[in-house]
Amino acid sequence: MKTGDAGFITTTLDKAMEWSRSNSIWPLTFGLACCAIEMMATQASRLDISRFGSEVFRNSPRQSDLMIVSGTVTKKMAPRLRRLYDEMPYPKYVIAMGVCVIQGGPYNQGYSVVLGVDRVVPVDVYVPGCPPTPEALTNGIILLQKKIRNEADR
Amino acid sequence: MESNLTNRYIELNMGPQHPSTHGVLRLKLTLDGETVKKVEPVIGYLHRNAEKICELDFYCDALIYFDRMDYVGAMNMELGYLEAAEKLLNIEPPERVKWIRVIMAELNRIASHLVWAGAFGLDLGMLTPFFYVFEEREKILNLFTEITGSRQETNYMSIGGVYQDFNDKIIFKIKEFLSEFPKKLDEVYNLFVKNDIFISRTKNIGILEPEVALSYGVTGPMLRASGIPYDVRKDEPYLVYDKINFTVPISKKKDVLARFIVRFEEMRQSVKIIQQALDKLPDGPFFNPKAKKSLMIRLRGEGDVYARTESTKGEFGVYIVGDGSVKPYRVHVRSPAFKNLSVLPYLSRDVLIADMVAISGSIDLVFGEVDR
Amino acid sequence: MAYEIKEEKGKDGRKVYRIDRDHLVELMNDLKKEGYDHLTLISAVDFRDRIEVVYHLEKSSDNFSMLVVKTETKDNHMPSVASLWESANWDEREQYDMMGVIFDGHPDLRRILLPEGWNGYPLRKDYDMSKVQYVNMDEEGNDYVSFDPGDGW
Repeated sequence: MKTGDAGFITTTLDKAMEWSRSNSIWPLTFGLACCAIEMMATQASRLDISRFGSEVFRNSPRQSDLMIVSGTVTKKMAPRLRRLYDEMPYPKYVIAMGVCVIQGGPYNQGYSVVLGVDRVVPVDVYVPGCPPTPEALTNGIILLQKKIRNEADR
Repeated sequence: MESNLTNRYIELNMGPQHPSTHGVLRLKLTLDGETVKKVEPVIGYLHRNAEKICELDFYCDALIYFDRMDYVGAMNMELGYLEAAEKLLNIEPPERVKWIRVIMAELNRIASHLVWAGAFGLDLGMLTPFFYVFEEREKILNLFTEITGSRQETNYMSIGGVYQDFNDKIIFKIKEFLSEFPKKLDEVYNLFVKNDIFISRTKNIGILEPEVALSYGVTGPMLRASGIPYDVRKDEPYLVYDKINFTVPISKKKDVLARFIVRFEEMRQSVKIIQQALDKLPDGPFFNPKAKKSLMIRLRGEGDVYARTESTKGEFGVYIVGDGSVKPYRVHVRSPAFKNLSVLPYLSRDVLIADMVAISGSIDLVFGEVDR
Repeated sequence: MAYEIKEEKGKDGRKVYRIDRDHLVELMNDLKKEGYDHLTLISAVDFRDRIEVVYHLEKSSDNFSMLVVKTETKDNHMPSVASLWESANWDEREQYDMMGVIFDGHPDLRRILLPEGWNGYPLRKDYDMSKVQYVNMDEEGNDYVSFDPGDGW
C-alpha cells in the first residue's frame, strides 16, 4: 500500500558520492590495438556496457573518468598516453586490458614495446587475456566499481 | 612561438587519439578555413616489431604475430603466412584442410567487413548500424569459439593443417547462420543506403582514378571500386578458389559510396563461397602427417618465397627468406592497408574536413597491419 | 639494351631478374613502359656482407602477373624509383627505417614507423636488442630518443 510518505535512508556523504561515482564511470574512447575491437563488442548490443553506467564513451579526456588501455603500448605512443592521462580530471581510473598492456605480451622480446603500462600510468584493474573476452572486461569494470565503493574505508 | 595571425593557413593536429582515426593514426592537417589543403599521415604508433620477432622464433610460432596484424580478419592473415611458409617448407595441406581454410577465411571476411561498416557509420555520425553489425559479428564469433576455442585471435590454422576438424554439428550451425544472414545483411544495407544524409556525404566524394590507384599500390575493395577487377582469388587462385563459382564485384563510380557497395556485395559473394565449400567439403585427414606437432619445430626452409592472398583489405603478401635453419631468416609483409593509406594525401586535397573523415573511413584501416 | 639481366626462376615459380645496382633505374624505366604499372612491394634482406633489395612488380593488363627484380648493395646506397611509382615512396621510407638502406634521389627520406632519432636499424642482423632505447615527447610534440631510463618510456 502506498502511503505517500517520502521515506528516508541514512548514509554518509562519502558513501553517497562513491555510490554515484561508481555507477557512472565514463570511459575515454581510446582504442590502441586488437583489444579495442573487443572493447567495442563490450559496448555493442550483446554485452551492453550501459547496464553498468559506462555507456557514454567520451572522446575528450577532459570529460572522462576511466581510461581503458586496450592494446599494446609502444614507445612512440607512451608519451601521448601519459599526456592524455594527465589531461583527465580527478578522480581518474585506469584499466589495463590484455597481456600486452600488463607486461608486453607476445611482443615483450622486441625493441619498441613498453613492458607494461604501469610504467607509464598507475593501474587500478588488470584484465588478462589476449584479447580478453568482453565478459572479462565487464568483470573488470565491476571490480573497479567495488574498488571505488570501498575508497572511504581505506 | 611567433604569432601566426597573419597566416592564411592553420595547422591542425588530429590524433593519435581521435574517434574517427580507427586506431592510432595521426594526421597533420593544413587548413584553409574548413578546407583541407594538405594532409600528412604520421604512422608507427602501433609498431610492434612483429617482423623482428618472427625471426627469433620457429616457423610455426610466427603465426601468432600474424593473427594480431589485421586483428579483425585474423584468419586471412594466418592464411597469408601459411601460403608462403608451406611453399618454403615444401608441405602440402590435405584436400579437406584447403576447403576448411576457405570457409574460415570467408567467414572472417564477413566479420571484418561488418566491423568496418559499423565503424564507418560511426565516422559519419550513424550510431544505429553499429549495434546491428556487431550482433551479426557476435554470431560469427560464436561459431569461431566453438570451432577454435577463441573469439578473435584464433590461431586456428597451423603448418600443414588446422587444429580442429569440422564435425556435423558445426556444419549445421554454419548453414543455419548462412540461411539467416543475407536477410539481416539487407536490413543493415538499407539502414545505410536509404538514408539521404549518408548518400549525400558519400556520393562523389574521394574520387580515385584507376591509374592513380595503381601507381599508389592500392588493392582490394578500394581498387575494385575504381573499376579494376583485381582479386588474387581470381587472378592467382590459391587453395581451392578455382573450383568455386563466384564473381568479383566492381564499380565504375570510384567514390566512397562505391567502396561501401563493393564491400557489401563482397559479403554476399562470401556467403555463396561458403555455401559451395560446405557442400563440396571432402572427407580426409585434417593435417599433414609430415607436420605433426612434434615434428613442426624441426621444419627447415631454404630459398625465398613471396605468396599473395586476398585479405579483407587487399593483396596481402608475405615474403619469407629461409637460410636452411629452423627459423625464418627474414619475414616481410606487404600490408594492403599501409599502401591504401598512402593514397589519403592525394584524395584529401581541397576537400572539407568532414569529407576527409569519410574518405579515411572508407579505406578500412587496421593499425596492427599498417604499423606491424 | 645497355644492361645485362640474369634471368632465374624463383622457388615459388616466379620469374626473377637479377641486375646490378647501377642499371636498376634503366631497367625499371623499361619495365614500366612494358606495362608493369603496379609496384607491389620493396623488401630488403640483410645478408651481413650485403643487403639484397627485392622489387615485386605486377602487370595490370596481364591479370596482375608478377615479376621479381633483385639487386644488391654493399654500401647501403640504392637509387630511388619513387619517381616511377608513387607507392615506392612509403616503401622506401620503410626500408630506410627498418634496414638502413639509403635511397638516393628519394623526395622525403625520413623514418616512418619508428620515432625520429632512433639509434640503429632494427631489422639488421647486427642490431643490438639488449640496448634499450627510451622515447619521450617535448613541448612541441616532437619525439626524442635517449638511452636514459629516467627520461621517457
